[in-house]
Amino acid sequence: MTPGEKEPDEGTEFADFMADISNEISERVGSLDAALPAPAPPVARKTAKTPATSESGMILDWSNVVDRMIEEML
Amino acid sequence: MSVVNYSTREITCKIVYYGPGRSGKTTNLQHIYSQLPEDRKGKMVSLATETDRTLFFDFLPLDLGNISGFSTRFQLYTVPGQVYYAATRRLVLQGVDGVVFVADSQARQLAENIESLQDLHANLAEDGFDPRTMPLVMQYNKRDLPASEITPLDELDERLNFRGVPHFPANAINGGGVFESLRSIASLVLARLSTPAAKG
Repeated sequence: MTPGEKEPDEGTEFADFMADISNEISERVGSLDAALPAPAPPVARKTAKTPATSESGMILDWSNVVDRMIEEML
Repeated sequence: MSVVNYSTREITCKIVYYGPGRSGKTTNLQHIYSQLPEDRKGKMVSLATETDRTLFFDFLPLDLGNISGFSTRFQLYTVPGQVYYAATRRLVLQGVDGVVFVADSQARQLAENIESLQDLHANLAEDGFDPRTMPLVMQYNKRDLPASEITPLDELDERLNFRGVPHFPANAINGGGVFESLRSIASLVLARLSTPAAKG
């Protein structure tokens, strides 16, 4: 390489630089996008089961109620 | 300094022009500034003494606009080359992404070049950077001077470029080699984008 002897047209060097850098960034950003792990799928929120009750409101399924109470306390 | 920030879609690169006093660091930035189109011309901040020596540092922000959805900025700095501004050089080097080492080709300046290069390595190490992996290009400036006054390129390269990084002959005062050096360091810095660890 030899250093340029004459003054280039104003702006030409910068335009060439911009073109090179734009290409470089496009490639790099593209490759990085591909390398990044895909975003995790949204996790469905666990909904507590409604305890089974009798027609008169008596709780029949105590184990579900206890689970729900513990979940809510945590 | 983070090179690429995916959350804000920004790429910011800090490039520092390093080298001994009067090697042509400020001249590099002045040439780049002279080539900027009007709509991209920000302010070049230059703090010089009465004798035109860089007192603190020069700063040239290069706003390259939106590239592939990323707002891209290069920040170019110079350091004062004089030995007694060591603290300023350390300050300017903080967060650096790449270095252009501007060596003075004059034969009588060889010792100053070596001293400045050692100073660069010491300062990088002190800031926690590995001088062996920091993106670096060598620019051998003032190649327009008479051959009798300058060190041959091969010899300069052998004495200074022990890492074998890209090197460019230049006469920055006429613009020769200035953009070649900038393009090369930008490319080395951007190469780090290919590793996700470089994310900010």
